[in-house]
Amino acid sequence: MNNAESLQQQASAPQQALTMGQIIRAQFVQHRMALAGFWLLVLLILAALSAPLIGTVTGNDAESQSVFNRYLPPMSRVAMPRSQQDQALETFVTASEQRASALLEQLVAAQLTRATGQLPADDVLDFLDRRDAATPGQLQSLASAESLALLAVYAGFNKFHLLGTDELGRDVLMRLIYGTRVSMGVGLLVALASALVGVLVGSLAGFYGGWIDAVLMRITDSMLSLPILPLMIVFAAVELDKLPLLGTVLAGGNDSIAKLVIVLVMFSWMQAARLVRGSILSIREREFVLAARALGAKDSTIIASHIIPNVAAPLLVAVTLGVGNSILWEAALSFLGLGINPPTPSWGNMLNNAQEIIHEAPQLAVMPGLLIFITVICFNFVGDGLQDAIDPKSIRR
Amino acid sequence: MSAFILRRLLQTVVVLILLSFVCYYMMSLMPGDPIDIMVSSNPKMTAEDVTRLKSLYGLDQPITVRYWHWLRDFSQGDFGYSRTYRIPVQEMIAPRLLNTLYLSALALTMALMIGIPLGVIAGLNPGSRFDYVANFFSYGGISLPSFWLGILLIIVFAVKLEWLPAGGTETIGANLSGWDAFVDRLKYLILPAISLMTLQAGVYLRFARSSMIEAMGNDFIRTAKAKGLSRFRVVWVHGFRNALIPLITVVSLSASAIFSGAIITETVFAYQGVGKLVFDSIVGNDFNMAMVSFMISIAMVLTMNLLADILYALADPRISYS
Repeated sequence: MNNAESLQQQASAPQQALTMGQIIRAQFVQHRMALAGFWLLVLLILAALSAPLIGTVTGNDAESQSVFNRYLPPMSRVAMPRSQQDQALETFVTASEQRASALLEQLVAAQLTRATGQLPADDVLDFLDRRDAATPGQLQSLASAESLALLAVYAGFNKFHLLGTDELGRDVLMRLIYGTRVSMGVGLLVALASALVGVLVGSLAGFYGGWIDAVLMRITDSMLSLPILPLMIVFAAVELDKLPLLGTVLAGGNDSIAKLVIVLVMFSWMQAARLVRGSILSIREREFVLAARALGAKDSTIIASHIIPNVAAPLLVAVTLGVGNSILWEAALSFLGLGINPPTPSWGNMLNNAQEIIHEAPQLAVMPGLLIFITVICFNFVGDGLQDAIDPKSIRR
Repeated sequence: MSAFILRRLLQTVVVLILLSFVCYYMMSLMPGDPIDIMVSSNPKMTAEDVTRLKSLYGLDQPITVRYWHWLRDFSQGDFGYSRTYRIPVQEMIAPRLLNTLYLSALALTMALMIGIPLGVIAGLNPGSRFDYVANFFSYGGISLPSFWLGILLIIVFAVKLEWLPAGGTETIGANLSGWDAFVDRLKYLILPAISLMTLQAGVYLRFARSSMIEAMGNDFIRTAKAKGLSRFRVVWVHGFRNALIPLITVVSLSASAIFSGAIITETVFAYQGVGKLVFDSIVGNDFNMAMVSFMISIAMVLTMNLLADILYALADPRISYS
């Protein structure tokens, strides 16, 4: 009976974890910088997630290049040359005969032009050739699906680049937003994956002890003491799919993002492994574990309700701090040209040729780095806030 | 103690050999051995010539055999020729190492002189306005991408203000000597050193602050205060000396971070150090140069780590490695 009761008590443990969560939240909220960092990160992630939406609203995308509009300063408006406008209108009107005749019908009905008996597309184009400032308004008043689509083509004639354009005439704002997806995504993925590897290695070492522990920890310690960057350069410079084991993992080919994630994880799991092993070793010897064992708790119960909650909190801190670090490493490798390959934008590779253009457009060298800096400092503040929040010694009541 | 040092030394050598094999293997996966490059510049070469040359230079051997030959030559001091520079690797390495040494020594000194005093003062007054600002700077230093800081410094001090050179090691063809040469080198060192030291200064500040707080919380500090010792003596002789112990480890363990940073900084500033050499030779597939510069730099870092362990034991008599 005692046994069953103790099990019941243990089953109620998740509720205790919830109140601990409340404590942590209350503590975290008091750390002003961490809270500010948290909301800033939420904002950045939201912007990254809604990248296509922002693209539709601003009428820009991350890929389209324009030779005539390179190195535009921030807040520039660009009008397309007349010849290109004509071409865009022609491709739009002649693309579908049905649409052209529908448009002509509406235009005639609104008494804006006359049907001359030639192809409907030519009549519409004649009307468009005479276009002036009033034309968009006239199209707007037609209020049909076709005229609105035509209006969208018009909207493309005048582009507004909030943060200017880069060396290929691409919109910098959109590239930064899509770069947020890549950089933040790589950072999160690397931090989570290395935590997973770390948990695996750390718990193996912590549980089994003996020679397994000795070997695994020797490896962990020697990897911690290595200068990481030269090693990462070696791994990043080589096509990883040529390696016997990794080749099968990377069957997708030379996807630079997957490769970068693997290289970064290879050299960043050690902290988590040490943390998990240390926690397991110290918790294993605690009185409450002994008590649980004496009450007949199984190993699995001890792991699930005593060890995991005690390891999870510091691990969360490690992951948060790890995201910032991974973003820095991604940026450094991409800056060196060994990380994410263009044209996929990432904050690091947007700085790749920043040095050659500091005379023409210094702002191009400033903005991506500023984003890296802000993001990493936010992750560090959030990690620090979490650390304070979960540390029972620092709880302020 | 000597048994401990011996064991750690042995361990370091094992790690070095393992790493050299990993690097050798990875480098051999890069497309193009010397003969392939020879063929591409001489299309008249026949397939038979290629096989003959490959067996002549041992390139048809399995990787383990080739590695063994390399290791044997390396341990005998034969580092081979650089493919890019066409000179023996030895001649290239020494001046580059010296350049990196100047850069990292300057950066380390600056980081220590900024990080530790600020950290100690912040740690003496935790929660004060100064502590708040110092903490913010420490986070800033840790979160700054050093290459970006380098670019910013170039934009401000080299392009806009034109105070300092944007990159390089020394004024080419100036043939200066004595004091002038020193000043000239220093001008080229300032910006890279600042961009290299920022991260370390942030780290040192943080550790100095926390270990000072911990040291000042000890019972013997209270006793020292109760004895009526001057504040200066309490802080610097009793507090700081104890705070120094963990700091020694942090500082000597930063060798690997400084070297990683040096690769980036030297590349940004085109500073002719060993970090740039490692990067250029690996990317440029300059096999011998890459292997040697990689091995020497890693050996240096590992030696620093070993030194850290020994220093730690010497600084803190409570630690014993028996």
